[in-house]
Amino acid sequence: MAAKPKIAVYWTGGCGGCDVSFLELGPALLDVLAQVEIAFWPALVDTKRSEVEAFPPRSIAATLVNGTLRTEENVEMVHLLREKSQLVVAFGACAYQGGVPGLANLSPRDQLLRRVARNGFRPAPPPGGETEDAPPELLPEAKALADEITVDYVVPGCPPMPPLIGLLFDALLSGDLPAPGHVFAHDKALCEECPRTREERRLTKVVRPHELIPDPEVCLLDQGMICLGPVTRGGCGAACPKAGMPCTGCVGPTPEAGDPGLAMISALGSLARAGEEGPGAFAAEDKLLDALVDPLGTFYKYSLPTYVRRKGGNG
Amino acid sequence: MAEAPFEPRVVAFLCRWCAGAGADLAGTSRLHYPPNAVAIRVNCSGRVEPEWVMEAFRSGADGVLIGGCHPGDCHYVSGNYKTRRRIYLLKKLLAEIGIEPERVRLEWVSATEGAKFARVMKEFVTELKQLGPLNLEREEEKPSAAPVLPQVGS
Repeated sequence: MAAKPKIAVYWTGGCGGCDVSFLELGPALLDVLAQVEIAFWPALVDTKRSEVEAFPPRSIAATLVNGTLRTEENVEMVHLLREKSQLVVAFGACAYQGGVPGLANLSPRDQLLRRVARNGFRPAPPPGGETEDAPPELLPEAKALADEITVDYVVPGCPPMPPLIGLLFDALLSGDLPAPGHVFAHDKALCEECPRTREERRLTKVVRPHELIPDPEVCLLDQGMICLGPVTRGGCGAACPKAGMPCTGCVGPTPEAGDPGLAMISALGSLARAGEEGPGAFAAEDKLLDALVDPLGTFYKYSLPTYVRRKGGNG
Repeated sequence: MAEAPFEPRVVAFLCRWCAGAGADLAGTSRLHYPPNAVAIRVNCSGRVEPEWVMEAFRSGADGVLIGGCHPGDCHYVSGNYKTRRRIYLLKKLLAEIGIEPERVRLEWVSATEGAKFARVMKEFVTELKQLGPLNLEREEEKPSAAPVLPQVGS
């Protein structure tokens, strides 16, 4: 019998939810685990970095990385894992497009550190410790995995949903691999699989989720919730809209939409109405759109490092 | 040697029915206005995607002008109303990112308003000179910008 393929699961600047998401596979997880050997998975098994460094190049069949890249150590580890792996998968929204921690890129690093630790913070070794015991330096900004290394596949989601994880393992274990760059989700918009009915095709108010118990049948955009379904990939089964919550875009934008924020601005510009269109409605339309208090955080909740560029270049 | 004074680069999306014709009139009337804009004629200001505005910035523009028909005059009835709402939202987004919303300017210019077009260009370029260069991160500096990921082994 041939040796089982080795897999690794690594976390960088994440919350741990991606590691937990494997459990959602239920009994199917046992089938998967029976067919692979875990070479490295800090959440589950105790393998030291020095052991990973001793692995032969490309000896791991697939490494699944979750989390945003936030520290110098994150970067070192993903380069190491890239060298040791045949395939690297960006697992979850953070590794794919920067994720929620990527929202921190709105503030410069020093400002973040001042906010978190009031008197400023510099990584330092613990009392009596060696210099190498100091925590790693923060990068100037959070990055997606593909900003550092070649990424072969993506399993999107925050965290990835069982059907999407299943698609990845089906491909890896069958050897029937899709083209490089494949994203394990639908190319079509979430609306295609959302059971809610679109009636008005108008946005006549903007409400936040806590302000409304939505009608269970009607499109959430029609009810004034800013749902990112029109620009977001399907594949999750429209889990959030089914539960009365607007889509926040965790699976990432459809290939057609591209930049999710700009695509949503385009869509909302078409949909928003405050009475009869015309100069008399301009002020009311502006007021309506002002109720969308944080366009940046709403549209780029999971993807700011990928899409938002700032003034002054990279300096 | 003294550094050359900053000349803002402007991309102007002009609708063919009103603002584009107004710009033509400014030219045929021999009106003087700063030559900082690259004009792109579109069928309707409502065709201008927010993505195009950002692409102009990413490509080195310091300001983007969108010229459409006056309210009530849109050849397609309501394209200019859609673009007005889109630009309103886009400016809110730009402010959050830290880009001056004044770098995007929406103006209604009719086919007879060559003089207004010239005035708008003068005002806009003056304002952009005060704002200074934008220097947005360029596309090529940010490899993850494209949704297509790099090939294996490349």
